[in-house]
Amino acid sequence: MKTQKTILVVEDEKSLREAIVDILKIKNFNPLEAKNGKEGVDLALEKHPDLILLDLLMPEMDGMTALKNIRQDSWGEKVPVIILTNLSATKEQLIEDVVTHKPMHYLIKSDWKLHDVVDKIEKILEMQN
Amino acid sequence: MRKAKQKMKILRNIILICLLIVMMSSILASKFRRENPGYVEILLAQVSQALDVTKNAQVDTSNAGVVVKVAPGELLPIAVKLSNFGGGRRVDVLVEYSIISSTGEKIYSTNETVAVETTNNFIKTIQIPFGTGGGVYIAKTSIIYNGQLVPATTQFSFTIEKKILGIFQSDFILYGGIAILVSIFMAALGHVLIKRRQRTMRLAPVDYSDVPHDTRVFYELISDTIMGMRQQVGESALDIAKQIEGLVIDEKTGRVLRLTTKPSKVVAELVSGYEKVLGKKVSFSFRNS
Repeated sequence: MKTQKTILVVEDEKSLREAIVDILKIKNFNPLEAKNGKEGVDLALEKHPDLILLDLLMPEMDGMTALKNIRQDSWGEKVPVIILTNLSATKEQLIEDVVTHKPMHYLIKSDWKLHDVVDKIEKILEMQN
Repeated sequence: MRKAKQKMKILRNIILICLLIVMMSSILASKFRRENPGYVEILLAQVSQALDVTKNAQVDTSNAGVVVKVAPGELLPIAVKLSNFGGGRRVDVLVEYSIISSTGEKIYSTNETVAVETTNNFIKTIQIPFGTGGGVYIAKTSIIYNGQLVPATTQFSFTIEKKILGIFQSDFILYGGIAILVSIFMAALGHVLIKRRQRTMRLAPVDYSDVPHDTRVFYELISDTIMGMRQQVGESALDIAKQIEGLVIDEKTGRVLRLTTKPSKVVAELVSGYEKVLGKKVSFSFRNS
């Protein structure tokens, strides 16, 4: 029997977060929600989701800081992360951070439809199985 | 008187039986005629033949085999069937063959004398004159018997058509057209397959296992971004990449050869360059390590 995979959605924009959660539920995933980086880190380290979908620009704690914290954990250093952001990767520091913390994808929100993002999630989880 | 009455009765019965036989025969004959018209026709013709042989002489022709189309200079086979001649004795019949165009012009004519004893079947071949124009023609056969043109004539139509490389013109055009279409289709299919193969080969991830581990991720990231952009904007993706300071690539394949400056700076400038061309931000992916 196929076990339900848990996906943590860390996104401050409520409408987008809810849309992602809805489509993940339809696809029979178990979505968890966090509205900023701090909540995301806490939830990730507590629930150990199978994949994290992470925004970068968020209040309280930004996505890159949250990713650094998650990667410092023994479980978190290997969890697959997809960055879904509107922040253009044209700054050296951002690129160095991204490369250092190894997300699977760096996706620009405006470029991607939700079902394409879900396709990528499914592919990553299939590869892990 | 009584004997006479008996004779009359017997005679009447005989007549009735005869009438009955005639009626039965008539019924059977009409049935037989419906089922075997040719045979009945011959019988009737043979009966009449004793009265006037020329009135009932028959000639029938058909195209021998499946030939309905011939080329100028080729032979046209005609199957001839003569019947009801001679009344049982051998007679000479003059058979005249002619080829008539659709406008009524006789383009060829020949004749021969054939000995017939009641019936004769044979195949006559006529060479179509060289230079005859294409079109529908009629092969007409008439018989002359005892110096008189017998009312029996027969004809069938056929087509004369020039040949190109041993194939009839219309077939040549048809098969040629089909061959051209198939060739075009195969060429287009081959072109698509070659393009797809070239594209697949061109866009296949380049292996950088020879690059030191700490910088390999940048080589892969830059290489995959260039390949991804080639898919979207074509070869100009390479032109943009070539202009990035510190990035040396193979001008044909897009393979990253060297990074002569800070790798993150190269990535940032490459992404900026593509964003200017595309007018939108650039996503990228990392390879699974």
